[in-house]
Amino acid sequence: MIRVDFNRLRFLVIDDNAHMRRILRTLLHGFGTREVYEAEDGAAGLEGFTHYSPDIVITDWAMPIFDGLELTQMIRQPGANSNPYVPIIMLTGHSEKKRVIAARDAGVTEFLAKPISAKALYGRVLNVVANPRPFIRTKTYFGPDRRRNANPNYAGPERRKGGKADVIKQQPLLDKAKTTA
Amino acid sequence: MSQKKADLAAVSTFADHEVILPPNKLKKAVQKVKPGTRIDFDPVANAEAALAELAEDFSGWMDQECTRLDTARNAMKASGISKRTRDALFLAAHDIKGQATTFGYPLVQPVADSLCRLIEHTPDMMRIPLGLVDQHVDAVRAITHRNTRGDSETNAAKLAEKLRHVTEEFLAHENRDRPEYLESILAPTIAPGEPT
Repeated sequence: MIRVDFNRLRFLVIDDNAHMRRILRTLLHGFGTREVYEAEDGAAGLEGFTHYSPDIVITDWAMPIFDGLELTQMIRQPGANSNPYVPIIMLTGHSEKKRVIAARDAGVTEFLAKPISAKALYGRVLNVVANPRPFIRTKTYFGPDRRRNANPNYAGPERRKGGKADVIKQQPLLDKAKTTA
Repeated sequence: MSQKKADLAAVSTFADHEVILPPNKLKKAVQKVKPGTRIDFDPVANAEAALAELAEDFSGWMDQECTRLDTARNAMKASGISKRTRDALFLAAHDIKGQATTFGYPLVQPVADSLCRLIEHTPDMMRIPLGLVDQHVDAVRAITHRNTRGDSETNAAKLAEKLRHVTEEFLAHENRDRPEYLESILAPTIAPGEPT
């Protein structure tokens, strides 16, 4: 069985609603986390992300200045920050299908529809910690692999092209950007 | 400066994409527990208990959210519909939609959801019907304040259903020239909530 040692994780919670931030802080402390940082909008969230280097980001979607989707797109910029791979859990009241797809396509790692519960939040954190997904980079996308499962019933063409790949150890993206700048 | 192997991302390059295995920085937090090991700490139960302690504040917080919604409604009526007044009303309704159930007011959630849809999916914001906005805001306040009354549950559900019906009819009419958009906002949610 896998358990998460929350004491070893640093969280950044970004939500414009103070009540929701308090609830999230309470739940995370209840799980055993000590380090929970907060930001009240996307701009402060990006600053907090740079400053605190969180292990996991939990963000709302609808916020003033720039929203959680834009924040995700900014974090998922290879070379723009120290950890473009950081797990991002989007916790939002938006639940429409097109919203879920938009969040996925922006590079969100996990989507969690409000209302929040301890069990659901724990499940999302457990998933990002215990089952990290590879990242995919294409001309139009950089983020966690959007294919969570192989669908045995899929009958269409394979959209990803290319045969056997060469596996090469590479520098982290930020270092690579620095050395080529 | 040389990089530690663990800090390196493994990149597989294909014709039109790369598959990257980032360094696993969260490995430090994974604990493997042998079957049969006694575990004294249940993080979910502990978090639920912590949230229960917070619950005494929830009715006051819900009152604040209702006041915020009412203020946004009044600002829209006084100043007219603009991006500023529309966004303020939407954010207030959206927060109630997301929090009402947590605060112990689940019957409020569908009304706030309907109000969010009305604001978000009316293509010309100047055509957002203020009378229907009023009915939603008044319903949110009424259901919140009568939450503890035994006879209120059925009435609240009926009221929410009626508001939703009127809103969806209005949105269908306003988006009649955008069938794809209409279809997208009527699609059933695929948002994951509680784990099964």
